[in-house]
Amino acid sequence: MKNTKSSSILWIALLIISTNAFAQKNNKDIVDFKLKNVDEKIVSLSSFTDAKGFIIVFTCNHCPFAKLYPPRLNDLNNKFKPLGVPLIAISSTDTMMYEEDTYPNMVIKANEEHFNFPYLFDEMQVVAKNFKAQKTPHAYVIWKENEKWIVKYNGAIDDNGMEPEKVTETYVSNAVNELLTNQPIKTSETKSIGCQIAFRRK
Amino acid sequence: MVKNWVFFLVLIAVINKNIYSQNIQILKFDALKQCIYNNSDTVYVVNFFASWCKPCIQEIPEFVKFASAIKNSKTKLVFVSLDSKNDQEKLLKIIQQYSLQNVYLLDETNANNWINKINKHWSGTIPATLIIKKGKHKKFFANVISYKTLFKLTK
Repeated sequence: MKNTKSSSILWIALLIISTNAFAQKNNKDIVDFKLKNVDEKIVSLSSFTDAKGFIIVFTCNHCPFAKLYPPRLNDLNNKFKPLGVPLIAISSTDTMMYEEDTYPNMVIKANEEHFNFPYLFDEMQVVAKNFKAQKTPHAYVIWKENEKWIVKYNGAIDDNGMEPEKVTETYVSNAVNELLTNQPIKTSETKSIGCQIAFRRK
Repeated sequence: MVKNWVFFLVLIAVINKNIYSQNIQILKFDALKQCIYNNSDTVYVVNFFASWCKPCIQEIPEFVKFASAIKNSKTKLVFVSLDSKNDQEKLLKIIQQYSLQNVYLLDETNANNWINKINKHWSGTIPATLIIKKGKHKKFFANVISYKTLFKLTK
């Protein structure tokens, strides 16, 4: 009897832990941040005074899945920044684990890949925590509602990382188009394989 | 003489390649499902990993230890690699290094089609480990797992 009781307590505890880890990411409001860009300037959401929304992509240098996307990120920013939805890339991985993701290497990467968008260094991992970002690449579309930034989409950038020419669903692009034309978002969350953002223990 | 040597080296290369390619079975998600979901008494421990994933490789020794502990039992350890089928070199090296058995390479391009079928709360980070008993999900971990935990959960 005692055993059943203690095991059910354990189960409830596990359940709480697991729901926390898998917490809902959409419809959450995002706190503005101040992060250093690869040009050493500080960037915030409020730096973009005319923005209707943002495409925020958690990415990094080291992850093979993230490495597949830079040209597509440039395309997204080219397409949507003029429409008031700029793209911001953020690197939040633990640089103690991945030397490749340190700030100087981010600067090199941004130059090599000709990033046309800010590539911000989330050294303390607070922004990733705020978004509940779990992996790289992990894309978000946030939209301004009543002076707040609300998460409308999170997940994959599109449905084929390895072969860009075979992409059939451009999830991020679709969500932004739907928001721009006041339509409901058909797909607001998708899943994809990625490199885990390991949060440092304090 | 040189010709013979070249022939010999090519032969070794071919044999080697065949031995190790036998260790990887490339399949679609539906075929994988048939391998791991059945009503037999077998308990399946399914580890999702990739050769490029650092924490995945770090935890492999735990699985190797587990594999030797479950020899002659009804528990079966299965590795599902999420590497690209067009780039298996690194994966083959890891299989060879740790003498991994039952390695499948999942041939799917859009993870959004199958991740929810493993666990609807899983965002797709690896390593991840699934334990299946009698064709039913028993436990799912979207993180690294220790030998101790593996052993406890399958006992």
